[in-house]
Amino acid sequence: MEIRIHGRGGQGGVTCAKILAAAYARMGKSVQAFGDYAAERSGAPIRAYTRVSDAPITNRNKVYHPDHLLVLDPALLGEASLAGLAEGGSLLINSPDPPERFAERFPGTRPASLDCTAIARRHGIGTRSVVIVNTTIAGAFARTQGIPLEVLEGAYEDLGLAGDLPAALEAYAAVRIAEPRPRAAVAGAVASPPPAPRTVAPAASTAPPPVLALTAHTEGPETGLKTGDWRSQLPRFVRNLAPCNAWCPAGIDVVGFVQALAREGPEAAAGILAEATPLASVCGRVCPGFCMLGCNRRDYDGAVNVRGLERWVADHAPIARAAEQPTAQPRRLAVVGSGPAGLSAAYALARQGHRTELFEGESVLGGVLRTGIPGYRLPDAALERDLQGILDLGVEAHTGAFLGQADLERLSQDFDAVILATGLQQARDLDIPGSELAGVEQGIAFLHRSNLEPGARLTGHVVVLGGGNTAMDCARSALRFGADRVTVAYRRGRSEMPAIREEIEEAMEEGVTFRFLQAPVAFVGEDRVTGLELAEVELGPPDDSGRRRPLVTERRSRIACDHVLLALGQSPDLALLPEDWKLQDGRAFRSGEALNVFASGDLSTGAGTVTHAIGDGRRVARQALIALGEALEPLTRPDRADAVPRERIRFDYFARRSPAQLRQAAPAERIGGFDEVSQGLPDASEAERCLSCGSCTYCDTCLIYCPEGIIHREPDGTYAIDAEYCKGCGICLSVCPRCGLEMVT
Amino acid sequence: MSTQLMTANHAAGLAATLAGRANRRGRGFGSGVYPITPQTECIEFLCKQDIEKGHVVRVESEHSAMAVCIGFSMAGLRAYTASSSNGLAYMTENVFAAGFYRLPIVMMAVNRTMGPPWNIWVDHGDTLMLRDAGWIQLYCEDNQDLMDLSLMCFRVAEDPRILVPAMLGQDAFVLSHTIMQIEVPDQAQVDRFLPPLDLPHRLTDQPRTVGGLDFPHEIEQHREHHAAAMNRVFEVYAEAQDAFEAVFGRRPADPVVPYRLDDAELALVSMGTTASTARAAVDEARRKGIRAGSLRVNLFRPFPERQLAAQLAGIERVAILDRDLSPGMGGILWGESRALAPRDALVQNYMLGLGGGDVRPEHLVAVIDDLAGLERAGAPIIQEVA
Repeated sequence: MEIRIHGRGGQGGVTCAKILAAAYARMGKSVQAFGDYAAERSGAPIRAYTRVSDAPITNRNKVYHPDHLLVLDPALLGEASLAGLAEGGSLLINSPDPPERFAERFPGTRPASLDCTAIARRHGIGTRSVVIVNTTIAGAFARTQGIPLEVLEGAYEDLGLAGDLPAALEAYAAVRIAEPRPRAAVAGAVASPPPAPRTVAPAASTAPPPVLALTAHTEGPETGLKTGDWRSQLPRFVRNLAPCNAWCPAGIDVVGFVQALAREGPEAAAGILAEATPLASVCGRVCPGFCMLGCNRRDYDGAVNVRGLERWVADHAPIARAAEQPTAQPRRLAVVGSGPAGLSAAYALARQGHRTELFEGESVLGGVLRTGIPGYRLPDAALERDLQGILDLGVEAHTGAFLGQADLERLSQDFDAVILATGLQQARDLDIPGSELAGVEQGIAFLHRSNLEPGARLTGHVVVLGGGNTAMDCARSALRFGADRVTVAYRRGRSEMPAIREEIEEAMEEGVTFRFLQAPVAFVGEDRVTGLELAEVELGPPDDSGRRRPLVTERRSRIACDHVLLALGQSPDLALLPEDWKLQDGRAFRSGEALNVFASGDLSTGAGTVTHAIGDGRRVARQALIALGEALEPLTRPDRADAVPRERIRFDYFARRSPAQLRQAAPAERIGGFDEVSQGLPDASEAERCLSCGSCTYCDTCLIYCPEGIIHREPDGTYAIDAEYCKGCGICLSVCPRCGLEMVT
Repeated sequence: MSTQLMTANHAAGLAATLAGRANRRGRGFGSGVYPITPQTECIEFLCKQDIEKGHVVRVESEHSAMAVCIGFSMAGLRAYTASSSNGLAYMTENVFAAGFYRLPIVMMAVNRTMGPPWNIWVDHGDTLMLRDAGWIQLYCEDNQDLMDLSLMCFRVAEDPRILVPAMLGQDAFVLSHTIMQIEVPDQAQVDRFLPPLDLPHRLTDQPRTVGGLDFPHEIEQHREHHAAAMNRVFEVYAEAQDAFEAVFGRRPADPVVPYRLDDAELALVSMGTTASTARAAVDEARRKGIRAGSLRVNLFRPFPERQLAAQLAGIERVAILDRDLSPGMGGILWGESRALAPRDALVQNYMLGLGGGDVRPEHLVAVIDDLAGLERAGAPIIQEVA
């Protein structure tokens, strides 16, 4: 029995021939396997052969009349590859096409087919760039010939290929065989006879005898050999998902804006930011920086300071007029609450030309951005800048419009849809003795007071209970309002604090002291608080949040204080909703009937960051429009698991360079008032640290390394791949520093 | 003994390893290696082996590879290397040195076309170029030969009556990169077959000059001794075949291997894998009523003149099949053996498979047909098979 394999250099045809030989050897047959050598350049058509016999094999020739053909690349199918195949001979093709199609195309053969490339890719067989299909198709062949599974397994072990066995077994199970179609009657091909022998002696002649050309130099690169025919896979420039984009809850094209900043400047970057957020100025100051947690540079030499760059763009570019996408059918929408979720929703709606009205209970817009975040972190001017961008789109704002249940019912009737974005208004209380004493105050009430009523004072020793951003804001604001001393007591440890790391560090720099693993058990005092009793806490096993559960002990201590601020978390205030309404999955229902009222931001998700609220505002705006019948796709967040992993970045190309630091005022200076602590980055050069994970930067590495020289620069600066000559070797992909290419079959 | 599936290159590397280990009771094993297609897999294999008292030295050229072997061998180690084609050309000066120093080095040579222009496939011209270097030469027909004849080379070359190096040729890719089943002996068997090397003229701590100036009468003596040693190979080879059979249970190929010659009128004489194909063609011709036979020349140096003449006795027409060309003469095997046919026989030279062409049975059937129809022998013929 003779088997011939047609493949391309790099697909592993010779190893495939050896696997088949090893399998038949285990069945007691005499075997022989070999390849055609010297043509085995990557992508070149190659042949390999397996011969099987009951008697010892003495035939040393290539296989001219195969009983079975294996074709690893369907582009190789043709007269040359099918030459000599016996009538009814089997033909196994690596192709997603059904075998019946090949039965039609090649009557007189018995075709089987299977998409071995897909299976091998799924099993991760091959190099980083090129899938290798030999071990997979050998499994399919074994099935077509009835080679027992245990024989196949043994053959893979013999050749040290046991790791590829799962793919082979999948192929074994999945391969399909078609019935042969009869061949139309044709005159039998006549085998060409060997040429007649001729002597070496030159014929007598007066002309000088010929010398066969021994050099084959040609002018220029033109060659008649279109090596693109050798290819089984073709590279393609793609945008792979960057981790920063996958991690950003607001759905910002982070890598896009940072690269635009590095290459084109702040205005181009502002345009990209405006696609997703109206609050670049805000986010550039207060975002926790999820993108920076996902940054591939983080464990190399520190994450790119994206937050600082976002602020740089907002501070240095005019307010971006986001490209508007006017709708043919403007609708009327109401947004209740002008915090980040409400603003984001209103922005998204107004950009599409819908008439949008914004209702805010306070006298000024901004919600928690205005009342909850102190001015030293987010100055009014920065917020105003972002608000202006939203109002410029034609959003009609009603301030001082504190709505009740009846108002909401009316809005629901007057508007096509209502989006509720009232945030978390309800502060968590502490049910311990003495909580009614004067001097014990909710942190958000204090922040509200301090932000909207200048001149408030706080003296003596202030204790803040809690470990989140509100606690940090309270502590640092208290210092600025004249407190002599501020202590933060938190029931868990420092590493469990939910506050932004920089906030904690800045609070410490400013002199705030921390008492970790301390839980309040009683306030002390006659009618005004004078002290606080704390219990020591031990950390037990993790709770639902994944953090270790605090276990209160009997060990107590007491500290003297003059003021206590509670920053223990907030929950939504649902008093606004009419009695018979219920919120479910972000939408209001009345006795089971869906209303045109949608909840967004913290009210709906409780996620607790400005960034999450921005993303959710945009998502819910889209959801409301879809519910109204607009033909739009729902917005979904990409899966972090799909992002370009660190292993796919070639760090050798990137010199280590520390992240740029923000310019900060000295602690002693800054606690004297509410001026912004940070002056931002000194320049935008931090953008150049961005690796551009997954996106081509036209760095020319692929162009330089392509052994065929077939990647060219187009006049517009982008790349073109000459498919006529690309052999699909995948070197461009494997040298790409940032994973900006993929191979397609 | 076990049956294993491997390429001829690996079989050669494994044979060298087993022979090297067998000399652990002697002065050990030494090898200088430099890669060249299609030999590379052999020395890669050798480099990965753990050989007690073994030294495999990776050097920068074939010339140095043989120089390293010369040094090891002079110090009494069992020495081995492998090369091919233009690598052998570069090595040549030291190939002659090894021969004339009478050092029992063994070299596997993958027969490959000499360039330029470049061609990596089989042609016997490379080792035939070294015909006069004073080495024993054998040409393999299958993968098993790379195991068996490698061990035979060590045994015969190291025999105190011989002490000349031995070269083992194999057809590029047709054997070198083809996997087949071979019988692999145990170390204990190889230990029995290959006693520790005791080189009488090995260097010791006594200072000596080697390879100094030889005056004509000294050269005359050296050459006479060398020729006499070569002439003893037939006897020693036959003894080694017996010993091999006693240890391993099978007999390595004779210096010449006849096939259906007894009643033949017409014979095909060939070397290497062409001999396998010739047997298939003989069978085919006999089915057509032509009394054909085949003769494989396994041992080329010393040239088995007597055996060839004996086998060709009574043959009327002889086709000598060369996979080589000595320009200005013809096939080298033909040049050496044409006078050994009976005086009145017609002897025609055909060169087939030059540069690696795939010689198929139908090509040799055509040769038989052509030979049968000749009125008299003509000039050497190159028959295209590619």
